[in-house]
Amino acid sequence: MLAEELKQQLIEVVGEANVQDNKASLLVYSYDATPQFQSIPDAVVAPRNTDEVAEVLKLCNEHHIPVVPRGSGTNLSAGTTPVEGGIVLLFKHMQDIIEIDEENLTVTVQPGLITLDLINAVEAKGLFYPPDPSSMKISTIGGNLNENSGGLRGLKYGVTRDYVMGLEVVLPNGDIIRTGGKLAKDVAGYDLTRLFVGSEGTLGVITEATLKLVPMPESKKTILALYEDIEAAAEAVSSIIAHRIIPTTLEFLDQPTLKVVEEYAQIGLPTDIEAVLLIEQDGPQEVVDRDIEKIAALCRDNQAIRVDVAKSELEADALRTARRTALSALARLKPTTILEDATVPRSKIAEMVRAINDIAREYKVDICTFGHAGDGNLHPTCLTDVRNKEEIHRVEQAFESIFHKAVELGGTITGEHGVGAMKSPYLHLKLGDEGIAAMKGIKQAFDPNNIMNPGKIFAKSERKRVVVHA
Amino acid sequence: MRALTEIHLEEVKSIVKTGRVLTKESDRFSYSFDGSFGTFLPDAVIQTKSVEELAALVRLANRELIPLYPRGQATSLSGGPLPVKGGLVLDLSVMDHVLEVHEEDLVAVVSPGVLTADIHRAAEERGLMYPPDPSSSHVSTIGGNLAENSGGPKGLKYGVTKDYVIGLEVITPEGEIIKTGGRTVKNVTGYDLTKLIVGSEGTLGIITKAVLKLIPKPKASTTMMAIFDSLADAGKAISNMLTAGILPSKMELMDQASIIAVEQFEPLGLPVDAAALILIELDGHPAALQEEADEAAALCQSVGAREVRMPKNKSEEAELWKARKLVSPAIVRIKPTKISEDATVPRSKIPDMCKRLEKIREEYGIHLVVFGHAGDGNLHPNIICDKNDTEEMKRVEQAVEEIFKAAVELGGTLSGEHGIGLMKAPFMEMELGAAGLDMMKRIKAAWDPNNIMNPGKIFPEPGQKLELS
Repeated sequence: MLAEELKQQLIEVVGEANVQDNKASLLVYSYDATPQFQSIPDAVVAPRNTDEVAEVLKLCNEHHIPVVPRGSGTNLSAGTTPVEGGIVLLFKHMQDIIEIDEENLTVTVQPGLITLDLINAVEAKGLFYPPDPSSMKISTIGGNLNENSGGLRGLKYGVTRDYVMGLEVVLPNGDIIRTGGKLAKDVAGYDLTRLFVGSEGTLGVITEATLKLVPMPESKKTILALYEDIEAAAEAVSSIIAHRIIPTTLEFLDQPTLKVVEEYAQIGLPTDIEAVLLIEQDGPQEVVDRDIEKIAALCRDNQAIRVDVAKSELEADALRTARRTALSALARLKPTTILEDATVPRSKIAEMVRAINDIAREYKVDICTFGHAGDGNLHPTCLTDVRNKEEIHRVEQAFESIFHKAVELGGTITGEHGVGAMKSPYLHLKLGDEGIAAMKGIKQAFDPNNIMNPGKIFAKSERKRVVVHA
Repeated sequence: MRALTEIHLEEVKSIVKTGRVLTKESDRFSYSFDGSFGTFLPDAVIQTKSVEELAALVRLANRELIPLYPRGQATSLSGGPLPVKGGLVLDLSVMDHVLEVHEEDLVAVVSPGVLTADIHRAAEERGLMYPPDPSSSHVSTIGGNLAENSGGPKGLKYGVTKDYVIGLEVITPEGEIIKTGGRTVKNVTGYDLTKLIVGSEGTLGIITKAVLKLIPKPKASTTMMAIFDSLADAGKAISNMLTAGILPSKMELMDQASIIAVEQFEPLGLPVDAAALILIELDGHPAALQEEADEAAALCQSVGAREVRMPKNKSEEAELWKARKLVSPAIVRIKPTKISEDATVPRSKIPDMCKRLEKIREEYGIHLVVFGHAGDGNLHPNIICDKNDTEEMKRVEQAVEEIFKAAVELGGTLSGEHGIGLMKAPFMEMELGAAGLDMMKRIKAAWDPNNIMNPGKIFPEPGQKLELS
């Protein structure tokens, strides 16, 4: 519980209606989309503007109260759980599109805006914001910024970070700073913009962002390639890239994933084959036609048993939507779904898929794999039940093996979900002690009292497990 | 900060087993200047390809508080590599031994001394492209590009150096060797140190290896020249182009002063009575290119271009680009000293910035030429002067300050691609505010508590002013 005096001070800043500490509210904000990291905050605070955010942070900094900024809580690495209590900061009063600047091709937004609302608003003006995390219907742009979210179009268009030009940030001491601007080129000092993006709310609170837009591609086309052999599908991915074609989307779904997705979405996906590749290209009509033809040929060369071109945008959209629902569909099967996003260099996709299958067999666990094959970002997903202690133990071992394998192949433990509380015990695998020390130096410089989202990114203790903890 | 003693020098020599330690005054003099202003003599210059030896040197420097200045080919226009506090210059241009292209991963792995142009060539041989193309790419090292986050004409469509760096090997100011990022295009494992170090001007560590992202090389390109009677119309053409969904690979502006200078230097048949011209290059798939080119030409005409020249073949195209390349050599014939600024504004503010520049030119009675990468708002106002003329240089200093002010007031920045270095440090607070600058200082202090890495750069010293004379 917050001290009564502090609570009153917070109320003075944001108004009574925007400070909640009743049990129901606290419970609602005690978890995110990551299993097993539930933790009750002391209060939920919803500031109405940047100045109020600054006042709240000043108070919390003074009293050493943890602050956990939260969007829609779709986080998959326990990044938004208040693992050390404190205040959950909501952005429900800060959801506006401040400006769409058609001359400079930028959009300036508040953090609470839903990603899809942003995408729709700019598309209405013929512009394009490419980052499209699968959760975009509910995720907020603030969450995307803090996690540096990826998405289906990441292969060709990059991730959230590639579209952030400037930020307004409230620092833990309450200072408000602006980084970057509507500038295509800017080298005045250190790149704080990119440092904040992906910092998982541990360095400050993003209160406004100016994002880059690009012209809307003229046309797009989608195909589905069917495979009897998982490795052949992975080879096709490498082959497409090696032929100097970068599709917008190059997604991989294995059979177990296909089955549940079809059951859930019912759009006629093939369920009797080992894997599919969902491939999309966009751009000028002539280029799209040519690329899709070439991609189809490359898929067939790599043992695709069938290649279907979507006949209409409606059909294409159904395929994309089906892919986006993969996680929700899988989550229906068993009580606990653990989704990983170990990422490897593109050329190692086939090897990684093979390794995941071997690991699943070795530890006798159910792993479905889908994901952004084109950029090496796979999502091995384990269906399990957290109450089955013996099985969970094997799941943990399996994921630990997957992390090790990813790093061994020159990859990383997380491509787009973030480290959060979940993967912090594994950070050293990728960064080494010196690398972690370098990052901690930055954290310390920004947030000496460690009030910003404590317990995330940096492991606190020797806790070694993904799922089970005290 | 301490000067290098004989004892230090002995230790330095014992560390650098595989390379060279240069101490003769004539050698040190070669390392005392760069592409900007001022000369500062280092105590010694180190050349070694060994990362371990460099790391050991950093540990020594950190212990003994000796300034370290990493240096590539020193084409810096902001004083980045100048050893302003003596100490050791680390000549990383000798580390030119790694240049690997991994086709399947679409990455190149390079050591810092590799020339940017050699990376371009290696990629192109395999049908790939490394887009960042600073004008100095035939002499600049990739290490310098990384430290400064270099841009170039292709920045508009393809972005700058930072957009192509996915992994680094870095020696920290405390002498640890760390790896950031990797070979994956997606990576959110902790803070993005890669992008923090790129553009940090050698103040946070020494880059000893980099993983660069490559992209497929566009199959075709085409060029056109649009000629305008008013600078404002040219500015309008630039912003309308982008709004219309056309993204040229290059879009370069030349004002009347630069057109005249080039034409006097070498007659190319440029329209000397025009107020401005824009050179536009489009690239992409041949199937789509012609249509886009026609659209771009029509657009220029619709905002008042008096003529759009479309070259018929590659040699005519080269002829057009020659005009742009000759601007720099042409303008230095007018007067010996060229001060090349790169204040950058949002694209929509290009016409406003042009007006402000015109006013500054009149007010201070200086010779100001404007050209540059207009498409991304990165204009290069160049002041042509004579550094022996003290009175003129005073006016130039004031004019430069006014240019910075104008850029920041229009929502822009002091530097789009040249870096802050020594020259622009006094203006940092104007752009970033006290809190913003303080955050950067705190990062610097966290990593480099003894301030041994390229001291005197980015952060102004109390009372520091722009000095050109």
